[in-house]
Amino acid sequence: MGPPPDLKLATGQDESDEDDYMKMTFDDPTTTSRSSTSKGESSLQRRLRLQREGEARARVKSKAELASEAEAARERALRTSLLEAANGKKSKGLAMMAKMGFKGGSLGKKAEDEGVEKRSEPIRIEIKDDRGGIGMENEKKRKMAEMAAQAAESAKKVKVDEMDYRDRVRREREVARLERQVHAAQKIAEKMDDEKALADGREPLKAGINSRPLKSVNVLWRGLVRAREEAERDRRMRKDLEASLSRLPTYEDIDEDEDDKRALGKEKKTVYEVAEDLDEEDTELDDFSALEPGEKLKRLIEHLRTAHHYCFWCKFTYPDDKMEGCPGFTEEDHD
Amino acid sequence: MADENSRASSKKRASAEGDSENNKRSKVENGDMADKYNPYLAHTYENNDMEGSSLLSGMKRRETTARQAERAEDGEYNPWTGQPHSQRYFGILKTRRDLPVHKQRAEFLEMYHNTQILVFVGETGSGKTTQIPQYVLYDELPHLNKKLIACTQPRRVAAMSVAQRVADELDVKLGEEVGYSIRFENKTTPRTLLKYMTDGQLLRESMHDHDMSRYSCIILDEAHERTLATDILMALLKQISERRKDLKIIIMSATLDAQKFQKYFNNAPLLAVPGRTHPVEIFYTPEAERDYVEAAVRTVLQIHATEPEGDILLFLTGEEEIEDACRRISLETDEMIRESDAGPMVVYPLYGTLPPQQQQRIFEKAPAPLRKGGRPGRKCIVSTNIAETSLTIDGIVYVVDPGFSKQKIYNPRSRVESLLVSPISKASAQQRAGRAGRTRPGKCFRLYTEKAFKKELIEQTYPEILRSNLSNTVLELKKLGVEDLVHFDLMDPPAPETMMRALEELNYLACLDDDGELTTLGGLASEFPLDPSLAVMLITSPEFYCSNEILSITSLLSVPQIWVRPNSSRKRADEMKRQFAHPDGDHLTLLNAYHAFKGAENRGEDVKKWCHEHFLSFRHLSSADNVRNQLLRIMESHGLELMSTPFNDKNYYVNIRRALVSGFFMQVAMRESTNSKVYKTIKDNQLVMIHPSTVLDNPYEWVLYNEFVLTSKQYVRTVTNIRPEWLLEIAPQYYNLEDFEKGEVKTALTRVAEKVQRRQAMKGGR
Repeated sequence: MGPPPDLKLATGQDESDEDDYMKMTFDDPTTTSRSSTSKGESSLQRRLRLQREGEARARVKSKAELASEAEAARERALRTSLLEAANGKKSKGLAMMAKMGFKGGSLGKKAEDEGVEKRSEPIRIEIKDDRGGIGMENEKKRKMAEMAAQAAESAKKVKVDEMDYRDRVRREREVARLERQVHAAQKIAEKMDDEKALADGREPLKAGINSRPLKSVNVLWRGLVRAREEAERDRRMRKDLEASLSRLPTYEDIDEDEDDKRALGKEKKTVYEVAEDLDEEDTELDDFSALEPGEKLKRLIEHLRTAHHYCFWCKFTYPDDKMEGCPGFTEEDHD
Repeated sequence: MADENSRASSKKRASAEGDSENNKRSKVENGDMADKYNPYLAHTYENNDMEGSSLLSGMKRRETTARQAERAEDGEYNPWTGQPHSQRYFGILKTRRDLPVHKQRAEFLEMYHNTQILVFVGETGSGKTTQIPQYVLYDELPHLNKKLIACTQPRRVAAMSVAQRVADELDVKLGEEVGYSIRFENKTTPRTLLKYMTDGQLLRESMHDHDMSRYSCIILDEAHERTLATDILMALLKQISERRKDLKIIIMSATLDAQKFQKYFNNAPLLAVPGRTHPVEIFYTPEAERDYVEAAVRTVLQIHATEPEGDILLFLTGEEEIEDACRRISLETDEMIRESDAGPMVVYPLYGTLPPQQQQRIFEKAPAPLRKGGRPGRKCIVSTNIAETSLTIDGIVYVVDPGFSKQKIYNPRSRVESLLVSPISKASAQQRAGRAGRTRPGKCFRLYTEKAFKKELIEQTYPEILRSNLSNTVLELKKLGVEDLVHFDLMDPPAPETMMRALEELNYLACLDDDGELTTLGGLASEFPLDPSLAVMLITSPEFYCSNEILSITSLLSVPQIWVRPNSSRKRADEMKRQFAHPDGDHLTLLNAYHAFKGAENRGEDVKKWCHEHFLSFRHLSSADNVRNQLLRIMESHGLELMSTPFNDKNYYVNIRRALVSGFFMQVAMRESTNSKVYKTIKDNQLVMIHPSTVLDNPYEWVLYNEFVLTSKQYVRTVTNIRPEWLLEIAPQYYNLEDFEKGEVKTALTRVAEKVQRRQAMKGGR
């Protein structure tokens, strides 16, 4: 016996055309190209190949495949210059042109063209298969390139070790948890404040949107109110926008008089005055928002304890300011 | 009265002079002169000249002044007919004098007298198309020398409508002093002095009159459109102007590019007339649009909601897109009226295949406000680029331009000629914007960015000659006596490959021999106003005993689709088409429908109603009938026999199919493999499907097609089943197996050839 079969294969094909029946590896019949089939193909391989080819021919191609094949054939035809094509040389058309004095290049008046550009190639065929506007194709290409560049950039950056990663995840989770708690505390504080105000006979703060200027709301939960009002404004604006077709709701139609406005229900402008309030700068709130979530929570809890004798951790309102039975100020105290 | 410029026969001039002084003598002279000059004009000029010239006396041909002409126009009697002018005439005359060109009449005449070739630039609305030919008429005085004035138009409709308008302006009957000539229709008489015609028609005429000797002045209008025929005519006229110094040539263009014309015509002088235009403000979008139709509809609605009075013109690319946009705009407008008290807006589509009476509707007035004092109404026209140059619609203030149009494109490498949606050129975009400033300052909304305008649009639209299959043109040029096609002095010579393909195709059709000389068949084919393949098919059809039928099919293929398929009743339309269906293909189905149409006509039925019931286009069938008569006359005049195989003969349809092969053997496709719907075109190897409009049920192996349609898919349309043996038999030069590349097609054809040989051998053996 000679060397092991795989070794024999590696040493070269020219050794013998004889098929080694002991061979443990199989030639992949698909890789045998048609040109090499005449020699070195076993009957088994041949049968397999024919079968595959037959199947390929009989298979009904998908629409996408057909489209891409048709396009490939078209592109192939459009790329090949007829003048250079293999049978172009014996073309009768070219022969006739040569008889008229064509020597390549372009057609038209002899010589003395003063730098006038003349066509030596046919106009390209570009097929548009969508309704993208002019410039859309290039825009797409540009965006793709940008995204690719960005991906490459970020791939470079993210090279942190495992510990860093765990640490970061833990920190992020903690922050998220605290933020949730801040939100819950804000809600409680707002509700309790309103109830207290009602009990004192004052008008509650929350009676309706914009019943009071935003700045009179306690900064501890002003962010909450503001976010809610903004959402409400957006909702109303969207609704108005839909109702008024493509016009912006702030659009003033000079042709409309007061009666028209009333008839069309355009009189009330209150909704958009909220927007002005919301657009105002609020440094107090900005400062508060900039705090760490832990600090925000601390202040809220403090407020709840002093103003309402409520412990955020016990979820209980104590009758007096001694707050008997509450284990302490922090979360750990309640563990 | 002798004319220094003209070197035409001086004898003729003498007689013309005589005419004006002494009618009696002229009668005699006119007779003999006409024999060598133009026999058709002879009898009409006698009395006409007397009255006419008396009113135009004192005017010297090519030496007249604007004052003289105006005096003649103001006269009580029409100098061309001798009849008194109608009241209407003076009304029109007044508006004519207000046109921008009128101010430059004297200047025009002076330049005209001093040059052989003149480039005239006038924007749309300057009045050049109607007025300049009349100014020339009053200067050329064609009744004196019996030579006509021709004015070419790129479009048939324009030639007809402008001729009508000018006939009205001159207070004459259309077809008499002013006439028109378009393919398959000639409305002129021997009295005609001024002739509007399509550029293609003048080209055809000159095949028999290489010097265009019937004309003393030729005006090429709308030259900026650079149609195929106009480009060829310019090249021919440039040559003829060397031989005929008496021939005057005016090139009229609406825009730009004037220097290019000047330079081409050896620095011919230029006269420019400002149009009546107002400034147009142009707006771009900040970003590229995702869907230009959607964006266009939105923009139109926004204009309607927020902009003051004024009509809107929106440019889109094709019938389907336009109808779709019209529907959407109408729906949205109705809602705007209901919900926000918008004014009314009527939406009109406009595209080439729309019936003329519907095209006319775009000229209707914008609707009145819904109630007194309500917001003003407006009209919105959604059009292909025919509204870009050829049609003038007043009242347009807003133009919406998505930047696309459908353009014909031909590539000799794949031999596909197709209409494709392509970006327009900068020149085109400017032209579109200009449409907004016709009546007052306007606005143009371009649905692309300014950057895209600058970077992505080409400067000028490619002239048609670069976008067309030239086999027909090459045949015409050969007939026109142009020997050296390679150095033929065209303004924009086509790519060499296009020329090569054209020569090859004509050689395969046996219209040119191997030396590139016109054959007898080629000469005959050029007599027909048809593509060479159709002409050859028609000429050879007697050999297949079916020239009557092939004549009908040729006519049907020369008009737009006769099948009507409205969106609302597609199914019914398809059922009706089935009634005419022939299992062997669409050509025979067309023939069946035509025969049924003629049958209904002969039975004395109401054909219009019959067509409507059968979902056939009466308009297109009648024009096919008209085309058939014209072609019939040409066939008869060349002694081509008309015959049919008896209908009961089993070869009736086979003969027709074989005759089709004789012209269309270069448009054949073979099925790629069994149970595949894909075909491969012969020699070009393009993968195509049969267009869904076909009546063919069976997937035949070999089909012949009339048309290659390229959209996002590739289709062949109007398809008939044929047998491969016929290809080898009828077109052996094209199906020479040695020329084929190795592949399935060659294998299949070889097998067919062997079979044929075997059969012949067996026959011979017996």
